[in-house]
Amino acid sequence: MKTKNLILVLVAVLGIAVGIYFLRPKPLHGTVIQSPEPSYDFTLTGANGDVSLSDYRGKIVLIYFGYTFCPDICPATLGNVTAALKKIGSKADDVQLIMISVDPGRDTPEKLAKYVAHFHPSFVGITGTKEEVDTVTSLYGIFYEIKQGSTATDYLIDHTATLMAIDRDGYLKLVFPFGVTADDIADDLKYMLRQ
Amino acid sequence: MNKPLLNGIYGILAVVMASAFAFKVFQPIQVLPRMQLAPAYSLLDQNNEPFTSEATRGQFTIYTFTYTHCAEPCYNINETIQEVQSRLNEVQLDGIPVSFVTVSIDPDRDTPEVLNTYANSIGADTNVWTFATTTNKTLLKTIIGSGFETYYEEKGDGNFTFDPAFVLVDGWGIVRAEYRYSTEVSNADRILRHLGVLADEVRNSKGTTKLAYEAAHLFLCYAP
Repeated sequence: MKTKNLILVLVAVLGIAVGIYFLRPKPLHGTVIQSPEPSYDFTLTGANGDVSLSDYRGKIVLIYFGYTFCPDICPATLGNVTAALKKIGSKADDVQLIMISVDPGRDTPEKLAKYVAHFHPSFVGITGTKEEVDTVTSLYGIFYEIKQGSTATDYLIDHTATLMAIDRDGYLKLVFPFGVTADDIADDLKYMLRQ
Repeated sequence: MNKPLLNGIYGILAVVMASAFAFKVFQPIQVLPRMQLAPAYSLLDQNNEPFTSEATRGQFTIYTFTYTHCAEPCYNINETIQEVQSRLNEVQLDGIPVSFVTVSIDPDRDTPEVLNTYANSIGADTNVWTFATTTNKTLLKTIIGSGFETYYEEKGDGNFTFDPAFVLVDGWGIVRAEYRYSTEVSNADRILRHLGVLADEVRNSKGTTKLAYEAAHLFLCYAP
């Protein structure tokens, strides 16, 4: 009887440990946002017409602000998203990346479409007038600033390089800092896809 | 499945649920919600210099929205800020700077020169308290109205109807607290307490303790 009780206690302790392990908060790599309201539903222009955030309800949307002349951080981040999508396999069909250009002066919708297609066939690139882009960047906490070069069209743009994840219902859930790895993005996407 | 094993499973589930319930009820750790991203902006400050949201990164920032022609005491906005400033030593901030930004909703009259005169007239320490606005009224409405979700409207007689809100933003540009006049009058005690809660999280939310803080967010253990 004593042995039986001891086994029961051991099973209980083990069970509690396992329960706590599986019920513990998932340590996500992005910063979790608990917004009570859906994210701002922008409408900008893509190569195939208008694109709104709400067009992708039901999918997880990754939003990245960048520009096609971006020398380093944009391709690095988009490359990491591409690698993350490969890691999650067929579930990638439920994830949509939208790149919003902060360079409406040079990035046409067609140019953006060609640029993002280099990274993944599903990626969408959109832009708008400066006023439209300024509204969207401001409301997504993205600061950008033109650093003038030697000619009017030769310039770089400093911009906030975060990657944002919007859930299936249109709520901002995660903000990844610049430098987030493909593994970390994939890990968090898997978690969001299970929700 | 035999009865003792079933009872054991029920027992384990009960303990786990009781632990979660106890965490929620007793709230051993309190946090402030990560409500939304604060809007990005580029304004002109009281020195006629660009003032951008990037300048506030790494700091706790308290935003207010008003105009210099607002009849005093104008909801005690300035008095509340000055009280918070004077009592910051009551909070263990571990060197995290706290800055204050007052955005004018009246760019027609509140030019940088007017803002500078106003700041001097109320004895504001402009090293930590910035007064700014932009003449782009559409963008100003986007920043204040949509970004900070703070209502204001020109009445046509030189006055404004507005929500004298305070908004607390953390060093990552995330809105962590809002103090709305319509629901709860802003007061220095509450703002100082919240600054302390934020500083505690920055200081302690590392390693395994970070899990406890994430649990506090998950269980909505928000500081009152």
